[in-house]
Amino acid sequence: MPDEYRTAVLRFVEMHANSELMGVLPEREWLMRAPTLRRKLALTAKVQDEVGHAQLLYRVAEDLGKPRETMFDDLLAGKTKFHNVFHYPTVGWADVGMIAWLVDAAAIVAQQALRDSSYAPYARTMRKICWEESVHIMHGRDVVVTMVTGSTAQRAAIQDALDRWWGPLMQMHGPRSPREKDRDLHWRIKAKTSEELRQEFLTIYVPRIRELGLVIPDPDLRYDETAGEWRYAEPDWDELRTVVTNHGPMSQARLEFRRLAREETRWVRESILGVPRAA
Amino acid sequence: MRPKSTPAPVLEAWEVFRQEKDGDPMRHGGSVMAPDAELATHYAREMYGRRQESVRLWVVRRSDVHDLDDGDLLQPPLDRSFKKPGGYVMRDKLAAARAQSGQAKPKARSK
Amino acid sequence: MTATAAPPATALAELLRSMADDEFVIGFSDSEWTGIAPLLEEDVAMSSLAQDELGHAAALYGLLGELTGTDPDALAYDREPPEYRHCRLLDHGRGDWAMTIARRFLYDTADVIRLEALAEGSWAPLADLVGKLVREERYHRMHAGAWLDRLARSEGEPRDRLLAALIVLAPDAATVFTPIEGEAELVAAHVMDAPMTELEGRWRASIAPVFGDLDLPMPPPATDPERGRLNHGADFDWLWGEFTSIRRADPGATW
Repeated sequence: MPDEYRTAVLRFVEMHANSELMGVLPEREWLMRAPTLRRKLALTAKVQDEVGHAQLLYRVAEDLGKPRETMFDDLLAGKTKFHNVFHYPTVGWADVGMIAWLVDAAAIVAQQALRDSSYAPYARTMRKICWEESVHIMHGRDVVVTMVTGSTAQRAAIQDALDRWWGPLMQMHGPRSPREKDRDLHWRIKAKTSEELRQEFLTIYVPRIRELGLVIPDPDLRYDETAGEWRYAEPDWDELRTVVTNHGPMSQARLEFRRLAREETRWVRESILGVPRAA
Repeated sequence: MRPKSTPAPVLEAWEVFRQEKDGDPMRHGGSVMAPDAELATHYAREMYGRRQESVRLWVVRRSDVHDLDDGDLLQPPLDRSFKKPGGYVMRDKLAAARAQSGQAKPKARSK
Repeated sequence: MTATAAPPATALAELLRSMADDEFVIGFSDSEWTGIAPLLEEDVAMSSLAQDELGHAAALYGLLGELTGTDPDALAYDREPPEYRHCRLLDHGRGDWAMTIARRFLYDTADVIRLEALAEGSWAPLADLVGKLVREERYHRMHAGAWLDRLARSEGEPRDRLLAALIVLAPDAATVFTPIEGEAELVAAHVMDAPMTELEGRWRASIAPVFGDLDLPMPPPATDPERGRLNHGADFDWLWGEFTSIRRADPGATW
């Protein structure tokens, strides 16, 4: 395996793993507050799957030679990153629905393209992950549709959530970059460009958002028939850069939460679970 | 009470094989980190069986797996086509034999 | 098996409420480990345990709902704190990993004794459900037992923390067996095969070998046993505030 390839795969998988792990935090506080037994079961299962995905992805990275504890060290030190959407606060149950629907949807668009990744262990893992993710989106959409057809306060909460999450969603796949300059594409670690993923997300989900009577907070958003693609207001790439370098609204609080939790359980790892065998 | 007298635990990889339904072969699913077989089995159930997606699991310490990855042994260079169907192409010879006997190629029998 | 006479509804409702509330409340503290358990694999495991408990609670609230003509979500969410009937053992917060394991072991071993006393009961809906719960609970006891063993046998910090947790939990350890109001009628109607005090004895007998083998102190009798499912305290008030917050903000809304 060429060194550059190994390095590129490890970096890609590690960021993915970090994102699944950090992605748990915006949702876990709502486990306690889920308003019905069924919603609580669904959310618990969803968040469990995210931890499970983190396990699967960290295993792929570990087998490439980087121990889990080192990856956690690097995440907490800010040396490695996690996706922008997990740096933002969740302010209500409407956010829980919106994240489970649209954030997961945007993630799945990317993840489905990774099922053919050139790195076979990653491709296999992505197939398992995609299969599990399909249920999460349905849960999210169900929460959103229920609230949209519910009380005035519920409808307003969903529109408010969409207003706040649209920006980060549009930034999520990253800025446009030329195909020939993308090393991850070169190595076929991933198969589609950022813009291809964003276009795919818009094609599937703009109609589904609008059919609920929701207003997407981008007056420039429209489908250009001639060009065969969506036009939209330029996402705030400065915001993206600021956020993923751990200067987002919740970045430091969430990393600190992880840091404290990790310290709290260190004694269990060092005594009973054991120090990891050197690779 | 007998205190833990075993050496310090080591967290290591355990391979998990799973069976989707009765009669299927065991197929590799992935791996879990664990300090011993009991917890490894528990974690294997979680990662590869919590959705009732498996009817059986095997859990094996990775370091107990004997790995053969030797090209000289598994893909030796000399011709071995005499061991494979592809080594017995008879099309031309059969055409010559039929021409000699004046017979056409037999039609395939319909079942 | 069918009852020859209807089981006493009030006592049965009290029993179901206590069991459902137990499973509902323990699920909260278990799910607090989500994302922060000592190992990723263990995180997924704790989450399954929490989901099982919640599923059991939902099934028990469902049965209670049929009995009282109430929606299960209303039963779970729309009561004031003093109306909850979970045992005081479960009012203790998540604590550290040793506290969680100690609490789970004490609860799961007690719960299985309670379930076994109901498994051949005369009221079929409960007996049937209990049959299913018992099969799922095996997995819980395997997990709690595996960890109790490892903590107890690791000299130093793990064992010290486990002993400290057992001391904190001691006054409330046996509250799973708080007598249920009207339980004499349930015993007479063969819904349960013995009163709670007798079940507590069975429980102690079942855990004594493990505690003896691990040189752990047996839990004492519960302090204030008659009120073992009352007076939940400030921690539960806070938890109640959290889990009812969304419903109270928009009463009557569908979620």
